[in-house]
Amino acid sequence: MAREVSESCVDSLLTEMVSTYCNRFYANKPDLAARSIEAIGYQVGHQLSERYTMDRPRFSDHLEAIKFICKDFWSELFKKQIDNLKTNHRGTFVLQDSQFRWLSRVSVDLSENGDVSQDNPEATAENKAAQVTSMHLYFPCGIIRGALSNLGIPCAVSADISNLPACSFVVRIKA
Amino acid sequence: MIVCVAVVGHQNNPLYIQSFTDADDALKLHHIVHCSLDVVDERVNNPKKSGPTLNETFLGLLYPTENYKVYGYLTNTKVKFILVTTDLDVRDADVRNFFRRFHAAYVDAVSNPFHVPGKKITSKTFAETVSTIVKSFGLSSAG
Repeated sequence: MAREVSESCVDSLLTEMVSTYCNRFYANKPDLAARSIEAIGYQVGHQLSERYTMDRPRFSDHLEAIKFICKDFWSELFKKQIDNLKTNHRGTFVLQDSQFRWLSRVSVDLSENGDVSQDNPEATAENKAAQVTSMHLYFPCGIIRGALSNLGIPCAVSADISNLPACSFVVRIKA
Repeated sequence: MIVCVAVVGHQNNPLYIQSFTDADDALKLHHIVHCSLDVVDERVNNPKKSGPTLNETFLGLLYPTENYKVYGYLTNTKVKFILVTTDLDVRDADVRNFFRRFHAAYVDAVSNPFHVPGKKITSKTFAETVSTIVKSFGLSSAG
């Protein structure tokens, strides 16, 4: 009896959420905005992990849970799996997604800097892009953290966007 | 006949307890549920090492008391479902089926954005769904 929603609605909702928190609620406090967005993601991840682990046997260790996040959980959320998983076997995992769905349509408005021409250094544009996209990443980080916490694995999750549209999430399990 | 169902969180905090008898022994049923939590912990921490049942969610018959049978189910998120029944001959398949539907109802209740994780489940829809499942459990095993 599940009702479905179009994907563009979800995309619009996420974009609007980030924009509202950054520009209206916490206009000059990007840290608070980031924390709120991450907290929303935490609750969503918590509830989603409850739903997506329903028919599965229990996980025997941390690696199993991370693999679940990379395969089943990611497929449910983004219709694809994580492309690469790296670990240092000491509690840190790096999940790489080569085409992160929620960032695939991010564009940066260059006209804000007055008369930006083609030969303006790429640096300013890249900084703006990094700033804008990093706010969008707090939500998926929160989702991963919420899902893992619900599976009994407290952790800290951060994102790294050195080359868009690829995106890496670094999960550090708290000992 | 099912007399009581309970949902217990991962810190052994009660999230939902509902008894289905007219008698006034709700406290006794709560006590039985509470005792069964120890059995659940013991089952999980000392598995029987029998291969395929190592990490299953359905824990089976926890322990039989004088008139009741207590069944347990542990989800991936360490939430426990306890079922207390007075039926003498209960089929394993029926109980598994019950827990599957109960789990689905629980997931729907927890997905409510107004539900605070760790607090009691106050959704009326959940209560109604649970009583429907309980009623149909009695019917299916009567046949």
